[in-house]
Amino acid sequence: MSSAVHMIDRRPLWSTLLWYAIAAVLTIIAVGPAIWLIVIAFQPPGGELYSLRGGFTLDNFRAAWNDGHLARPLLNSVLITIARAALNVFIAALAAYPLARMTFRGRDIAFVLLLATMMIPEQVIVVPMFRMIVGMGLYDTLAAVVLPFSVTAFGIYLCRQAFMAIPGELEEAARMDGAGSLRIWWSVILPLTAPTLVTLALFSVIGAWSELLWPLIVLQNQDTFTLPVALNNMMSQFEANTRAAYAAAVLSLAPILIVFALAQRFLKAELFGGAVKG
Amino acid sequence: MPAHRTHHPLAPAAFLAPAALVLGVFFAGSLAQVTYLSFTRYTAFSGPDWVGFDNYTRLLASGRFWGALLNSALYLLVTPAIIVLSLLAALAVDVRLRGMSWLRLALFLPVVTPTIVAALMWRLLYNEDSGVLNAGLRWFWLDGVPWLTERPWTLISAALVTLWKGFGFYMMVFLAALAAVPRELREAASLDGASRTQVFWNVTFPSIRPAIALVFVISSISALKVFEELFVTIKGAPISHQTVVPLIYQVAFEEGNYGMASAIGITLFVIILVFSIVQLKLTSRTEP
Repeated sequence: MSSAVHMIDRRPLWSTLLWYAIAAVLTIIAVGPAIWLIVIAFQPPGGELYSLRGGFTLDNFRAAWNDGHLARPLLNSVLITIARAALNVFIAALAAYPLARMTFRGRDIAFVLLLATMMIPEQVIVVPMFRMIVGMGLYDTLAAVVLPFSVTAFGIYLCRQAFMAIPGELEEAARMDGAGSLRIWWSVILPLTAPTLVTLALFSVIGAWSELLWPLIVLQNQDTFTLPVALNNMMSQFEANTRAAYAAAVLSLAPILIVFALAQRFLKAELFGGAVKG
Repeated sequence: MPAHRTHHPLAPAAFLAPAALVLGVFFAGSLAQVTYLSFTRYTAFSGPDWVGFDNYTRLLASGRFWGALLNSALYLLVTPAIIVLSLLAALAVDVRLRGMSWLRLALFLPVVTPTIVAALMWRLLYNEDSGVLNAGLRWFWLDGVPWLTERPWTLISAALVTLWKGFGFYMMVFLAALAAVPRELREAASLDGASRTQVFWNVTFPSIRPAIALVFVISSISALKVFEELFVTIKGAPISHQTVVPLIYQVAFEEGNYGMASAIGITLFVIILVFSIVQLKLTSRTEP
């Protein structure tokens, strides 16, 4: 890949410059708004929102943290994000094991039925989901945010793909040693597919950290708010000092960027290719 | 029975049970329920009571509903923009010039950005009095644009957030497709004297056409399901500027009319289904 001097890569100068220009424009589009948000969040209240020379202050962050009571939403978001990622990996990997490596009657039907739930948009079924959560006595709890999304059909699909690629001899060897199904799953299958599981966890983390619609519906109390719900609330609360809301937005962006920076090597293009062939 | 039993006969059921329970109850169960609820009068205070097609006939007469549908249809225009931008991004990463490996990472940043944060970023740029965009327009002696208050600008503003947040993801799909185009094929073509543009249109483009079809289907379905970009970016604009999902939220959780919201939900579900089937039929025909 890095052996750059491919025959085809000996391109004329104008073409090289053109692609660098395109790359520069795309980078500005992708990164520019985030940088601008950070710049504005560090400027004192008042003043123009297009000025680079607005000064520097931490007041907005103090206001966001103290008056916006962000500590609890931050904790809640961390909790539901970890819970959703861990449960999704665990339950999806459990379900994918028989679908990938056991032969039983109705296997293909089971796979198709589970996968078909991907066709049901969350946005269409919010009313009955809300009703169920209220019926279970989970309204306004963090469990309400986690439970319906504790496994995704996409996760099952991803795990099944990875499990099917494992050579059968490894399973066979473990079985000779007397390992049962659960044991084989845990100590043979999961370690061998760790990169896929991490990728799935990463997708879940990104989704759970960002989600607004469902938490907005089932959470009502300051104590149960997740960061996006708290942020949505602050938009009206801080109408007079919008910069505090921008500071809060920076605080919600930072953790996910750190996770992304640490885990980005697991986001390989091949995984997205699975969707193409799938 | 197999020659040697490898798993307990109940093992598949045991492994599948948790996933089947969650997806069965919350997704399949909810779909059955929302269908039923759409035929009932059901509010925050009473019901559900069976009323037949009452909700649907009222929807047909509702200007608000048709307005939301029209806005959703307009919102679909974001799809071609997403395809062009994400394909361009993928090609830029794929030329493998020095430093381009950073580009992939930079362009993925919007994908991991929480949607509400993305919406806030863009609200900052859209600010009609002192945002960067209008300041830039005034620099050129042009009038500022009412990004957050007037239709269709409100729809465009929200759609730009969807575009910004989405193109990095679809870029990855295109990168995977480009990686599957044999380099030797492209090199052979270029050795035969084909120009770069000819290689692209005759070799590369036909091989990634299935990926384009896929991105077309996925991105237009998610455009029909859009909520947060509108709800947050143009907060304060009237409901007539919103698409179908924000209307569902408003009818169900602000007006407490669950039966009507269910009917809107079912309508959207049918539209998405028909849409995906038609698209899959059309796009599978273009494949070799």
